[in-house]
Amino acid sequence: MKIYKMLIISLMAAVLASCVQKSYERTVIFTLDVSKVKNIKAVGLRGEGKPLSWENDLAMKAIKKDSLYTVSVTAVTGYKFVDVKFVVNGEFELQNKSNRRVFFNENGITNYDAVFNSEKK
Amino acid sequence: MKKLLQPIMMPHWLQDFLFTIPRVVCGYLLTTDFGAAKFGLPWSPSDNNLGFFEVAFWFPNDVAAYGGIFALFPAFFAWMGAFSEAVGGLFLLFGFQTRIASFLILCTMLVAVFMQQFSNGLWNMLPALGFLWVSLFTTVLGSSRFGIDFLLSKKYYNENI
Repeated sequence: MKIYKMLIISLMAAVLASCVQKSYERTVIFTLDVSKVKNIKAVGLRGEGKPLSWENDLAMKAIKKDSLYTVSVTAVTGYKFVDVKFVVNGEFELQNKSNRRVFFNENGITNYDAVFNSEKK
Repeated sequence: MKKLLQPIMMPHWLQDFLFTIPRVVCGYLLTTDFGAAKFGLPWSPSDNNLGFFEVAFWFPNDVAAYGGIFALFPAFFAWMGAFSEAVGGLFLLFGFQTRIASFLILCTMLVAVFMQQFSNGLWNMLPALGFLWVSLFTTVLGSSRFGIDFLLSKKYYNENI
């Protein structure tokens, strides 16, 4: 009887484990044009879900100082997109406007080019 | 089975009605908000990309972090917890199999209070504590006069006399 119970519990655990939402590794390479902003001290990215957060910047590195910055973000996720906003010197872009919604490419790598504080890509 | 279904009724219908309010509110919030966000139901937010009866990908990771037996079977406990909130909440809302649904919600909220929110302070524990108290009462009392269980137990009673 005990063996049957153990078998049923193991079977249930196996079946339920397969009912977990599928997740995939997704990488987004963000490139930001900040050439219209003056006195740049720090450029960062904030967003939903680890490794991003809405509280702290994920620092972006300069490709061309005071002009073009980039960061690559990789996460295992079940969602089809990530919501983000860029931050310069601690100030959010697009204030009182919607976040940028970046949809992932099916191949796992997405390139997202943006201009700071401009809704146009 | 009949004992599980049959609600304990108050002397006056108005008292039953008052007891029904927290049951309906908690059931509604659990199934449409707390549960639907992490368990795939037709009314789950489409942004969450959940299949029918699927638990959100991040929830087993959260459950595994509780340690002990939760780390051994994280998918099982995550699925059960999310199911209790989403489907248990729906049952609680309509007063269907109220005691079973309430017991599942009670267990889930005990885990939420002591394993998930305890270290985050009383303020963060309040939602889970609220559901915990309501499910405690409905586990004992059942659906009251205003639930499907009452109708089913009445039918069961009529058929067996």
